[in-house]
Amino acid sequence: MISLALMEVAERRTPERAYRVAGAPALRIVVLDVGLACCALEVGAAITAGLLVPDVAGPGVPKGIDATVLLISGTVTDALAPGVLRAWDAIDGARHAVSFGACANTGGPYWDAPTVTKGIDQLLPVTVYVPGCPPRPEALIAGLLRLVDETATA
Amino acid sequence: MIRVDAAEWRSTIAGFHGSGCTLFGFLTGVDRGDSVEIIGRVAHPESIEAHLISTTIPAGGTLPSLNDLYLGASWHERETGEMFGITFAGLTDARPLLRRAQQGSPPLLKSSVLVARVVREWPGAAEASDDGRRGGNPSRRRQRPAGVPEGFMQDEADGRSAIGGT
Amino acid sequence: MIPDEAHGVIGLQPSACTSCMICVRECPTWCIELESHTEEVSEPGARRPKTINVLDAFRIDFGLCMYCGICVDLCPFDALAWSPGFDHAASSAGGLVHGINELVNWWPATNPSPAD
Repeated sequence: MISLALMEVAERRTPERAYRVAGAPALRIVVLDVGLACCALEVGAAITAGLLVPDVAGPGVPKGIDATVLLISGTVTDALAPGVLRAWDAIDGARHAVSFGACANTGGPYWDAPTVTKGIDQLLPVTVYVPGCPPRPEALIAGLLRLVDETATA
Repeated sequence: MIRVDAAEWRSTIAGFHGSGCTLFGFLTGVDRGDSVEIIGRVAHPESIEAHLISTTIPAGGTLPSLNDLYLGASWHERETGEMFGITFAGLTDARPLLRRAQQGSPPLLKSSVLVARVVREWPGAAEASDDGRRGGNPSRRRQRPAGVPEGFMQDEADGRSAIGGT
Repeated sequence: MIPDEAHGVIGLQPSACTSCMICVRECPTWCIELESHTEEVSEPGARRPKTINVLDAFRIDFGLCMYCGICVDLCPFDALAWSPGFDHAASSAGGLVHGINELVNWWPATNPSPAD
């Protein structure tokens, strides 16, 4: 299932599962969720709570979107890292990476594991780091709004 | 748990398979020092019948694969093989799942020291009586972090041959 | 609605901390750093001055923290407590490290001060 989600993002280039942030008018962003571990459940909770709104435009990045956000929620292993990079490389136009949770931030509970990437910022530039193990859905939205703020003032 | 000799591992489980336990639960290993204990679970899909089977093989040893009986065993045997450094004879796909090929020693063996714990300075080594000195009071025997055996601390002896992984 | 007892961040009450290092040593991710020094204080009536630990710095790296709460549970002096805050995202990994100044502010309002 993990690899299917990645394949969807990486191979099709037109992911079907894209979301907008409710109440973020300053910048229109589409969130591509790369859910690799338990943190992905909190992303799911953010969707059911209506904080992340499924994009109605369907496949492809809709017109009028200012940036695409790659949301890495979960543990990235060295074995899986190339897949995450492919997903990142497949994004056209303005893009930001959001690191969601301890594993994506630093390796977290697996900081000493020989098989886990110690933070996705070793792979790609991260715009916003959301702390938590896992972070609450509200923390995700707070992080995305911070990204909106920072990119709007930049 | 049913404990069997390695020679009876496959025939025992094949017997359960033949009597209807066609559901593969899991398979994993436990480092017992000079040997590795392998534990597997099979179950009947329509009843509560289930069996835990265990056998012990020497470290680095070989056990016949179950992947022709249970397709689901392949994943577990791949994982157990790479993590405990043992071989499942007849396993059709034995590529490593998480480790780069031949890198370090198998990470789930207790002899594998996690290099991150050796390389990183342990914040717990500090003492109030160090009074801010890095490296601390030399007269005091330093506290050692969990998972780092004697002789592996930064300020200890050289020999780090047992370090596994990256 | 976020409940008061939510595990958002960890707050610190520095006056209750004795720099005993238990939290630092038990943390599975090594995400706590503590700096302290010793001082001698004379008490009236006491024969000799006694030596106490004085806390200089206390940092938690919330990028590493696995929110297990072992530090909160093990602190013999209840100097650490969970707090429901959630809006602590940062634009750098270093921005997730917080010291005494932030941790004091996160001491939960619902918790009475252990020093009292």
